[in-house]
Amino acid sequence: MKECVFAGFGGQGVLTVGLLISQMATYKDYHATWIPQYGSAMRGGTANCTVKFGEGYIYNPSQDEPDILLAMNNPSLVKFLPLVKPGGTIVVNSDLVDSEINTRKDINLVEIPCLTLAKEMDHPRGANVIMAGAIVKLSGDFTEREAIDGMNDMFRKKGKEKYKELNTKALSIGYNYI
Amino acid sequence: MSKSKKVPYLVDRPMSFCPGCGHGIAIRLVAECLEELGQADNIVFPIGVGCSSLLGGGIEADRLHCSHGRAGAVATAIKRCNPNNVVISYQGDGDAYSIGIGETTSAAYRNERFTTIIINNTNYGMTGGQMSNTTLPNQKTNTSVYGRDCSVTGNPIRFPELAADQFNVGYAARGSVHDVPNIRKTKSYIKKAIEMQLSGEGYSVVEVLSPCPTNWKMEPLEAMKHIAEHVTTYFPLGEFVEKEEK
Amino acid sequence: MADMMKGNVAIAEAAIRAGARLYAGYPITPSTEIMEYMSWRMAEVDGVFVQAESEIAGINMIIGGAACGVRAITASSGPGISLKQEGMTTLSDEELPAVVVNMVRYGNGIGTLYSAQCDYHRETRGGGNGDYRCIVLCPSSVQEATELMVLAFDLAEKYRMVSVFMSEGALGQMMEPCELPEMRELPRYPWGFDGKYTNKKVGIFDRNSRDEAVLLNEKYNAVKENEQRWESIDVEDADYVLVAYGLPGRASIGAAKELRAEGYKVGMIRVITAWPFPEKAFQEVNPNVKGFITIEANATGQLIDDVALTALRTIDKKVQCYCRPHVYGIPSVKAIKQDFIDVVNGNMKEVY
Repeated sequence: MKECVFAGFGGQGVLTVGLLISQMATYKDYHATWIPQYGSAMRGGTANCTVKFGEGYIYNPSQDEPDILLAMNNPSLVKFLPLVKPGGTIVVNSDLVDSEINTRKDINLVEIPCLTLAKEMDHPRGANVIMAGAIVKLSGDFTEREAIDGMNDMFRKKGKEKYKELNTKALSIGYNYI
Repeated sequence: MSKSKKVPYLVDRPMSFCPGCGHGIAIRLVAECLEELGQADNIVFPIGVGCSSLLGGGIEADRLHCSHGRAGAVATAIKRCNPNNVVISYQGDGDAYSIGIGETTSAAYRNERFTTIIINNTNYGMTGGQMSNTTLPNQKTNTSVYGRDCSVTGNPIRFPELAADQFNVGYAARGSVHDVPNIRKTKSYIKKAIEMQLSGEGYSVVEVLSPCPTNWKMEPLEAMKHIAEHVTTYFPLGEFVEKEEK
Repeated sequence: MADMMKGNVAIAEAAIRAGARLYAGYPITPSTEIMEYMSWRMAEVDGVFVQAESEIAGINMIIGGAACGVRAITASSGPGISLKQEGMTTLSDEELPAVVVNMVRYGNGIGTLYSAQCDYHRETRGGGNGDYRCIVLCPSSVQEATELMVLAFDLAEKYRMVSVFMSEGALGQMMEPCELPEMRELPRYPWGFDGKYTNKKVGIFDRNSRDEAVLLNEKYNAVKENEQRWESIDVEDADYVLVAYGLPGRASIGAAKELRAEGYKVGMIRVITAWPFPEKAFQEVNPNVKGFITIEANATGQLIDDVALTALRTIDKKVQCYCRPHVYGIPSVKAIKQDFIDVVNGNMKEVY
């Protein structure tokens, strides 16, 4: 079972990245849970959600000890840095996040300039999908094909097919950045 | 003794109101109107708590004794679920204007397509005569023993006027049952209210001023006179809104 | 393959598919998505949706709809359900079926928005005036929530009672893969108001409360006998049995399994019907069990009372009953395992 925390400002699409990964997992017939922080707990800098997935039943869907943290802004890195499992991975949006915040030696910090990459591909709202691509690669649980199919299946069901090409490209950029 | 043919079968059984009470007259008027409009077999009564609840024992029809003040909400759902039934919430002033002011006002505000009949006897009758939101200024009750002091209690509420002025209701009127001409007039108000409901155009409310000799500590005739001379000066009789029926 | 679905949305859609055709209520976090969903979905199935002016008006609209024989549902959370108690005792008094959803949030008074289990006593005892019980169903996953929603309507109809769907805020907010139940096209209940006084069972004014009391006890005894539901593992030889429900119940199963794998003789009972309480689950427990441990998301421990009473009735000797109230949230598997270790090491005092 893998646990991922996705955190950032509201509007950076972190809840959607979480949903994407969980939907890819169910597309692969894994068990999956997605749980947000909601209500007053979500005020003050970070929106976040926790996704767990794997072959076995997920007994506790809530935030526990993430294997992977996505930090899209500085407050997210500050808040969740201590929670990450030793040996875990932190993916940061290096266009915004100051990597010096990280004081831990027992984690793997991956810097991705997702805003720059998104701008380069002329899809500024695709930064979160680029990050999703990187995370599925880092998790080691999905092939690029599985990830793309799972994502497009979700967007198709949500009636957002028109961005299929752009999103596929964004996911690939993230996947292959690693 | 032979019965009058005119007693509607809906209410052709004894009721347990005090001597001189106006509830029995009002209920009879409602039943007559239903019968004359061919709706006696098409009626659901959400009923208030208080003396108005005695309607439940006196009438043979679909009826629900609602929690205190909630008939406006119950009637809302009944009418929306059964739009082809005539729905009349039958309540007292305490039920509709005090504990149920939220439900009563909100139903009028939403222009729910049912009818509310509110018996206003300027006090809480069932519990033995306490002050209500319609108790007259200086009126003595068991909780205003020196007379109602409106500087601390607020002024008596005039709901049909409120509904007419502020909401887009179909029909709002106030009648009285203290003498025969007014009983006749009140019947015409109730009939118009039900017709408004049948037309589907909007919420209808008729407040009925009613004597409460027991708690007013008056003889029945004295109570009737009290309405004519005092109650109607604060609560004017008449129709406040009469929307065109389509 | 099932799609990810938000708990509150799945609950609302399951209710529609189970036959709900009236929703009336007032928004409150963390149940609001149910109402938002119903606001447009009811219209699609020719149902009735009313945004009530208050929680109290909402539950009274449920009464009006149920009296017309319509499958009716409302949803709220802790403080909102407090206001609904008046209507729930009235529904019970008139023997009108309805489903009331409580997506529980933590705290007394207006409380907080944290996911919790602090309303157990109220829901299982009937929080309004009088002598009544509601069937109380407690899901531990989004999938189970949809299944229990169908059951909630079926049991409400069968016994003409209120079914309380008692879940936690977190379950309404979380997403999981979920297969929805089949759409049912059901006629109204056959006994509702039709304006013709066809059915004389609703709105009875001449009551014989002594006779009614006998019938009420018969009904409640039948529910107790027939409708207990639970999930249990490894209780037959257990030295210790964890007892919990909802999301903490789900985490406790994980803890029990890991403890078992580590060599501890631990069993687990996950309560699904908080009322009727699953006494039958306890009859299967090792007669030499050393203790029951409840894992709860509240401050004072509530489920523990039912566990202790039931242990007294079902186990021949006095068994120690422990409680670890985690206040709010979902305790982690690791935390629950530590609760067990605390009991074994004598670091937790028994409650009963």
